[in-house]
Amino acid sequence: MSFLDTKPGVPLLESDDLVRHYDVNRGFGKPGATVKALDGVSFTLEAQKTLAVVGESGCGKSTLGRQLTLIEQPSSGELKINGNKVGNLSDKEAKQFRRTVQMIFQNPYGSLNPRKKVGQILAEPVLLNMENLGRKEREERVRATMAKVGLRPEFYQRYPHMFSGGQRQRIAIARALILEPKVIVADEPVSALDVSVQAQVLNLMMDLQKEMNVAYVFISHDLSVVRHIADDVMVMYLGRVAEKGPTEEIFAKPLHPYTRALLASAPKIDPTQRVKSEPLTGELPSPINPPSGCAFHKRCPFATEECAKVRPELRNFEGREVACHRVEEIA
Amino acid sequence: MALLEVKNLTVEFGSEDKPFRAVDSVSYSVDRGEVLGIVGESGSGKSVSSLAVMGLIDFPGRVTADALTFDGQDLLRMPSKRRRQITGKDIAMIFQDPMSALNPCFTVEAQIMEALKVHEGGNKKQRRERTLDLLDQVGIPDPKSRMTAYPHQLSGGMSQRIVIAMAIACNPRLLIADEPTTALDVTIQAQIIDLLLKLQEDSDMGLLLITHDLALVSEAANRIQVMYAGQLFESGPADSIFAAPRHPYTQALLEALPERSEGHDRLRTIPGVVPGQYDRPAGCLLAPRCRYANESCVNARPEVSDFNGRDVRCFYPLNDQGQPTGLPTGETV
Amino acid sequence: MSENFTPSAVPASNAAEAIEPVAAPPSPLRETWDYFKKNRGAYAGLIIIAIIMFLAITAQWIAPYDPIIQDRSAFLKPPAWMEGGSWEYLLGTDAVGRDILSRLIHGAQLSVSIGLAVVAISMASGIFLGMLAGYFRGWIEVSIMRMMDIMLALPSLIMAMAIVAILGPGLENAMLAIAIVQLPHYVRLTRASVVSELNKEYVIASQVAGAGHIRQMFVNILPNCMAPLIVQGTLGISSAILDAAALGFLGLGAQPPLPEWGTMLAEAREFVGSAWWVITFPGLCILVTVLAFNLMGDGLRDALDPKMKR
Repeated sequence: MSFLDTKPGVPLLESDDLVRHYDVNRGFGKPGATVKALDGVSFTLEAQKTLAVVGESGCGKSTLGRQLTLIEQPSSGELKINGNKVGNLSDKEAKQFRRTVQMIFQNPYGSLNPRKKVGQILAEPVLLNMENLGRKEREERVRATMAKVGLRPEFYQRYPHMFSGGQRQRIAIARALILEPKVIVADEPVSALDVSVQAQVLNLMMDLQKEMNVAYVFISHDLSVVRHIADDVMVMYLGRVAEKGPTEEIFAKPLHPYTRALLASAPKIDPTQRVKSEPLTGELPSPINPPSGCAFHKRCPFATEECAKVRPELRNFEGREVACHRVEEIA
Repeated sequence: MALLEVKNLTVEFGSEDKPFRAVDSVSYSVDRGEVLGIVGESGSGKSVSSLAVMGLIDFPGRVTADALTFDGQDLLRMPSKRRRQITGKDIAMIFQDPMSALNPCFTVEAQIMEALKVHEGGNKKQRRERTLDLLDQVGIPDPKSRMTAYPHQLSGGMSQRIVIAMAIACNPRLLIADEPTTALDVTIQAQIIDLLLKLQEDSDMGLLLITHDLALVSEAANRIQVMYAGQLFESGPADSIFAAPRHPYTQALLEALPERSEGHDRLRTIPGVVPGQYDRPAGCLLAPRCRYANESCVNARPEVSDFNGRDVRCFYPLNDQGQPTGLPTGETV
Repeated sequence: MSENFTPSAVPASNAAEAIEPVAAPPSPLRETWDYFKKNRGAYAGLIIIAIIMFLAITAQWIAPYDPIIQDRSAFLKPPAWMEGGSWEYLLGTDAVGRDILSRLIHGAQLSVSIGLAVVAISMASGIFLGMLAGYFRGWIEVSIMRMMDIMLALPSLIMAMAIVAILGPGLENAMLAIAIVQLPHYVRLTRASVVSELNKEYVIASQVAGAGHIRQMFVNILPNCMAPLIVQGTLGISSAILDAAALGFLGLGAQPPLPEWGTMLAEAREFVGSAWWVITFPGLCILVTVLAFNLMGDGLRDALDPKMKR
């Protein structure tokens, strides 16, 4: 088997009921607790598409990214690439996996090793995963990738601290691309950047998607960015999926009360697009001690007794998947 | 007379002969009951200018201004003791990160009561009652039990509410909010902005809202100032400045927003980066990045001038169609 | 917006978009040196150390006499500028007629090599243990760190004496003992920096790129932990010299007739009242050298710590 072989009719990336729990020690004499950072998330991603994962802090979107790139092993659930299960990988399989899935991190100031030159940073993935390449071919590959993301050749010998945030993020993108992966997990790739630089980086990511046929899992809290770049959106709340569907449909008519609140809370420049509504009350609940039933029921204006007792499962509604008991009435 | 009047405020760092101007002749005023938004990218000097108003620029920074008055009193030339009484009581400030604005060693109650003690006096019982009042005012549920909490036991949104409670403890007449919601989630951001605007309306405060978020400032502020590399580029009423930008920078910023783009097209970008300490252009600071720049922009710095009732720092301000006016004849960029 | 405004600034390719002027800030080394130079005490320390190094390296050639040759016609001769002194022996002679200046110059050689060797041994093993503890955590960390805590719980000189007592007196054993005594400092320092570096995104990024444990530890993380270790190493040299002198003074370090400064002090004890120069000059040498290393270490700490910079 190989992760690199595509099969017709089989999605590029498939996550089936992915779960990640953390055990936390609450101190001497107290019982330990479990944080359900990710509590059963399923989705599929087709080649060359962009799936956006949206939510507020603590919703598990970054945890999801860590499972997808095998930074951590999921507690349960399955991850499949081109139909092949990603389980305990041998050395060779791990290399194949890394050549299929790569990652871009949020903070371009933290994700580049300050003591390494740009050339060394970019060469590392090649050095570790493509041993058949010699020193010279490696350098050629690094230089070619640098040109692709718009970094000048003389940057090869420079240290990261000499660059602005936007250029650092280009370096980080180049590092993710250098193995020519099929999936890139991008964890808030533009949230640390200024508006004008953010536009440059988003353009670059979209151009590269066409040029190199990559699919993105785009983790973000910024709804306007998501609307611009994503094909599908998955809204998460407290480790679970609240709503999932095509971007335009979700933005045109959000079904889940949380999605609605999220869209209404985001400020807008255009006065005609502003939705006047009461802001959501209450805080995000703690994942150590989540509310019973629907995790959102304490903040939800439509909540009933059922919502407080029974946890809603994702179900199909108007061509989308929504986890809400009252979606028929609300819609 | 305006509550806060700032004329040609300049903040310089570095050596006398080769200074770095973090803020370059910025003027603005905030009235009672008014929300002034200052918006800009990082390095635009928006935070430094407000720190200068608060008198928080330490040596080696140098603050100069033609006028820096609060309610008619000259802040720059008054004794520093008198100034400290004003900043803190009449002018309050809240910062971006609520967690670092609170002292982790003391309870919420102790910190608010300390602020009250310095500026208001009164006995312990009165101060405690006032503290409860304040917590209630900023919308903290069950204030009695939160009084004894330490900052690390509170969420980001709760902490920011506590910081706001401390800021309004002495009934300030001007509140400076420097990126008050940047560290918070969207739904919490909406709550905090609503709270700030409600407090501002109720007590007829002036509010100076500093942020990088164009959409946020356009919803919250009455008037907006756009800053770039330490200079004021454009100012005007909130409802018209983004509808019809007069400065090429404002126009370009808006076009770079994904919100403004149709479908999945490429975004229009501003090439390059904000100039830093070492690469300030000689002419207009935007010239290397401006799509309309010509030779005179590269050679000379424009001054702020009035254009259709808007203050704009540009040789060729834009008309309603978004095209530059006053270009030399025959030139079409 | 009308079509004639499709300006040159809207890029056709990514490459055009990315051409940003990069104002080159000074390189990290250059910056550190600039900050270091501003600290006068540290700069003076550096110059003194350079002089001592020079003396140590060229001792064979510039010392006027052999350090262990005894001149039976000149016991306890005072320094040249005193009555009874002669320019033959600039700083006088000791009780058996050896030239003090020559002994001090050769002593510099011994002291500097003691300092460097001790720091090299304890830093190398300290980094290794600290790296293991900080990187793997769990029971490895617990066992290494508790071991170090136990070592720190004993007074350092007494522990060094105990180790020398087991190994037998002598310069090499004294050096080894001092290296062991200094070890916990390097272990704790390394572990602390490794733990804080471990959470940074660049480490995770390298993990995603497929870096193994050895590469993560010594290629990616270690260079980022070096700044505090360099400072500790500089300060460690001075305390090694001091400890070696103390052991020498107690008769457990360098054995006579080696011209080690501490040993010289011990030999001269009985002449404190009658011939001050025999005991003052070695003492001064220790003082100046230790002070110089401490000044330089403090300067380095300020220069390498970004938080101390404006």
